[in-house]
Amino acid sequence: MPSTPVPRTDEELVRIVLETADRALKELGGRPAAGPPADPGTRRNLAGSARETGRAVQEVSEMMKNWATHVPWDELADFADFGADDPAGPESFTRFLTDRYPEVRTALEDLVEPAALRITADPDEEYALDKQAYDFYRPAGRDLLRRTEEFHDWVEARRRTETWQYSRLLEAAPGSVAEISNDLGRRARGINFNSQDYLSLNAHPAVREAAARALGDFGPHSAGSPMVLGNTRLSNELEEALGRLVGLDHVTLFPTGWSAGFGTVTALVRPEDWVVIDRLAHSCLQQGARAASKNVVRYEHLNIEEVRRHLGEIRRRDSRNGILVVTDGLFSVDADWPDLLALQEVCHAHDATLLVDVAHDLGSMGPGGSGVLGMQQMTGKIDLVMGAFSKTFASNGGFLASRTPAVKQYAKMFGGPHFFSNALSPVQTAVVLEAARIVGSAEGDRLRARLFAAIDALRGALGGHGLECLGSPSPIVPLLIGNEKLARTANRFLFDRGVLAFMVEFPVTPSGSARFRLQVQAAHGPDEAREAAAIISASVEDARQYLSSAFRMGTR
Amino acid sequence: MFDAIVVGARCAGSPTAMLLARGGHRVLLLERAQLPSDVLSTHFLWPHGMSYLNRWGLLEEVLRTTPSHTAVHLVNEGIALTGEVPEKLLRTHFEELHGDGGGVVTTHASVRRRVLDGILMDAAASAGADVRQGCTVDELIVEEDRVVGVRGRTRAGTRFEERARIVVGADGRNSFVARALGLAKFDERPRCTFAYWTYYSGFAPGGLQLHRRGRLAAAVVPTNFDQNMTLVWGPSEWASAFRSDVAGHFQQALSFVSPDLAEQVRSEGQQEERFYGTLDQAAYLRPLYGPGWVLVGDAESFKDQCTATGMTHAFRDAELAAAAIGSWLGGREPLDRALRSYEERRRSQNAAAYYDYACTLAEMRPLRHDELQLLAALRGNQEETDRYIATHADIAPVSEFFQASNLFLINDAARETSDQHAIFDGFAETSRSYLRNPFS
Repeated sequence: MPSTPVPRTDEELVRIVLETADRALKELGGRPAAGPPADPGTRRNLAGSARETGRAVQEVSEMMKNWATHVPWDELADFADFGADDPAGPESFTRFLTDRYPEVRTALEDLVEPAALRITADPDEEYALDKQAYDFYRPAGRDLLRRTEEFHDWVEARRRTETWQYSRLLEAAPGSVAEISNDLGRRARGINFNSQDYLSLNAHPAVREAAARALGDFGPHSAGSPMVLGNTRLSNELEEALGRLVGLDHVTLFPTGWSAGFGTVTALVRPEDWVVIDRLAHSCLQQGARAASKNVVRYEHLNIEEVRRHLGEIRRRDSRNGILVVTDGLFSVDADWPDLLALQEVCHAHDATLLVDVAHDLGSMGPGGSGVLGMQQMTGKIDLVMGAFSKTFASNGGFLASRTPAVKQYAKMFGGPHFFSNALSPVQTAVVLEAARIVGSAEGDRLRARLFAAIDALRGALGGHGLECLGSPSPIVPLLIGNEKLARTANRFLFDRGVLAFMVEFPVTPSGSARFRLQVQAAHGPDEAREAAAIISASVEDARQYLSSAFRMGTR
Repeated sequence: MFDAIVVGARCAGSPTAMLLARGGHRVLLLERAQLPSDVLSTHFLWPHGMSYLNRWGLLEEVLRTTPSHTAVHLVNEGIALTGEVPEKLLRTHFEELHGDGGGVVTTHASVRRRVLDGILMDAAASAGADVRQGCTVDELIVEEDRVVGVRGRTRAGTRFEERARIVVGADGRNSFVARALGLAKFDERPRCTFAYWTYYSGFAPGGLQLHRRGRLAAAVVPTNFDQNMTLVWGPSEWASAFRSDVAGHFQQALSFVSPDLAEQVRSEGQQEERFYGTLDQAAYLRPLYGPGWVLVGDAESFKDQCTATGMTHAFRDAELAAAAIGSWLGGREPLDRALRSYEERRRSQNAAAYYDYACTLAEMRPLRHDELQLLAALRGNQEETDRYIATHADIAPVSEFFQASNLFLINDAARETSDQHAIFDGFAETSRSYLRNPFS
């Protein structure tokens, strides 16, 4: 209990002021400020109200008075001095009530019942924009199926507000322009940065012809795991072609790029081994690492000094077990890449093995399509290289390339998705084989030159609009937005304005760093890229206006 | 003619004036009230707030009368975590924000404003700023669309007029400078908490304790005069019911959130002051600068009390704004460029992510199942617990903790399972029951 009687709360006192002044104002009956009331009873009542107002204000804490500096507390406190039969009359109080009180009333009311609280937003939109997928990652309850419903409610809110960027459908081949429908069935046609087909080989006549020929020769089905008669002679040719491209002779095919990453890590790493992995490495590698060992160390994106430190620490404690260091070549999140020479040297110095995922850069960048490896003169010098066909090679599938047949045979046996999945189909294999031929040809150089002309035009134009593209020129142009609400709203505007772009947010990117991932194709013309940049810029600006947001985009 | 006039001599204004004066500039610091005096405030300083004081050479004086601690105790639905903010994260924070990671300390403190604000104002005066109290600014002088000075009156009623190359609005949430300029608010978040607090003597809670249950929370932290600031808060929707009996509901909330703390307060605590409260806490941003003016502290951006970062952020603004203004006054940079660098830091992606974090927290929704599992998984993982605390205080970026690969690793490293925490029994039902207003 208090040691001395405590004063009333500010909130109570402010309410007294409001009630008293309101009552007094009513008693004045809307009388113009000039004429003070003549009736002695009214004057007495007014003087009483003035005193009551003043005394309440005198009791208001200094905390509140120094907080609400826009309220004329001193002036109000002076009203406490009216005597019971003050001959001067309550003129100053009357004047205050008619002249100043409306404004002061708003200020006082705001302290106890803020106007902002009375605003109601569209609950559906609020719900859709406020949450993140991760909020539903660990649902409650023992019914595995019923507990998915809360997430579904959120998806439905996102769909109703047309802010759900997933499950859009293509209505025709995804060229530089595409026609799609969102999952409410609404159609849109736009410049397409939403497809990963960097050299536009999906539309290439030779690729389509190779697919048709393989379909005729072998049918659509591989009818078995690569270990059990699922491969054709095309598979061997493809392994050799890929081996030449990455400079490592022993290549294993996987049915998807994801399984190549997951399969490689889980084939080689055992629970006592270590995985040292770039924070932003692809999900298939992160999940592979977690499935293989509890000894997973993440390092700051691209930071080789940190890798050196971790390897040193691990080796001081553990000289018996293996260490796999894992990185992407071109990182799809930030469009940048590591210094592979330095990374490989650090690995060798600590008896660690380096695995580089070249899914995004192989074929689309570097001399002869050699990707980040070739750009850094590291072709053939990396311990392990894995990749995916789905970005440049116009098909599903992935591969692991190594220097020795031993590694290859081991990965085939113990890389689960290789052994236990149906092999790449003959059509897919033929497509990738033909794509690899084009990648390494003079035509490949021409396609890459066109691709980079479009990339430069897009990055230049976005920068010209004051938007920030992350990383270096590459087929992925990450346009950083930051705030998820802003990105979702801008994405909604874009849909109807002729640009198809994919918005990525958590869990692909960290919380609060949502972005558009613009994937450029050789078929994009520089003018198309510039037109798209203008539309994107206008949509982002409109989204900022819509949300009334003052945050800048881009700067960390 | 001054180089700068700073309106408001509390957490944002005094350090801005002090730093500018230390840079050799002629500064006028105007304060409406007579200091020392109190103002509604969490009066909490996180370690980066304490670090600013240390960088400015004022920490020792504050600590002479103010208790400080490093341990932070968090209890969410019975899941207890204890940690502290690591020095390394603090250094990185200062390096990224100010290009200089020196002078960091890992302590936190609750400082009454009638203690702290006087120290800050005196430091501005010692640095050479012309400090005038009891001066209310009631007009901005605008010439050719540019703010060139202020007019106002002293407590005695004398009018004054002063001019400067730039006017800094450091006058709080209800900033006169912002109102006079007619500045719009951006990113408004009407959902906020109601908070009521008072001061108890008679027990020692040993550092900051933060308790959370359902839609209510409580905090206790030792402050000046051998007292403990004791605070409860909840969603603004429940405010009017809570107010029908502040003293009773305060105890009820405390008992609900932490029966132990409530018992300690009841049996050992001596209430030293009235209950203070506020509901006026909707978050917003205002434009940061324009011709002849700059805003700092609550005047430029306000967030709910629930993360208690307002004072620390006022210090941050002071150091950022003073560096920018000083660089222009010193002829090293054009004004526009200097202030753009202030804006880049204040409106950055990290700042936006933290703003969202604090505003979401302020809605006081019951903790979700996944959030509680994350908190349970943090038990025994000191490094990530510390990073979580640093993230909550806006020292480590939200994007580094709340990153998929990090959260997955925390899960994988978990040492406890859900059956060690009672909240996971009948979670759905409990969670639903939390939605009912207990004060109505």
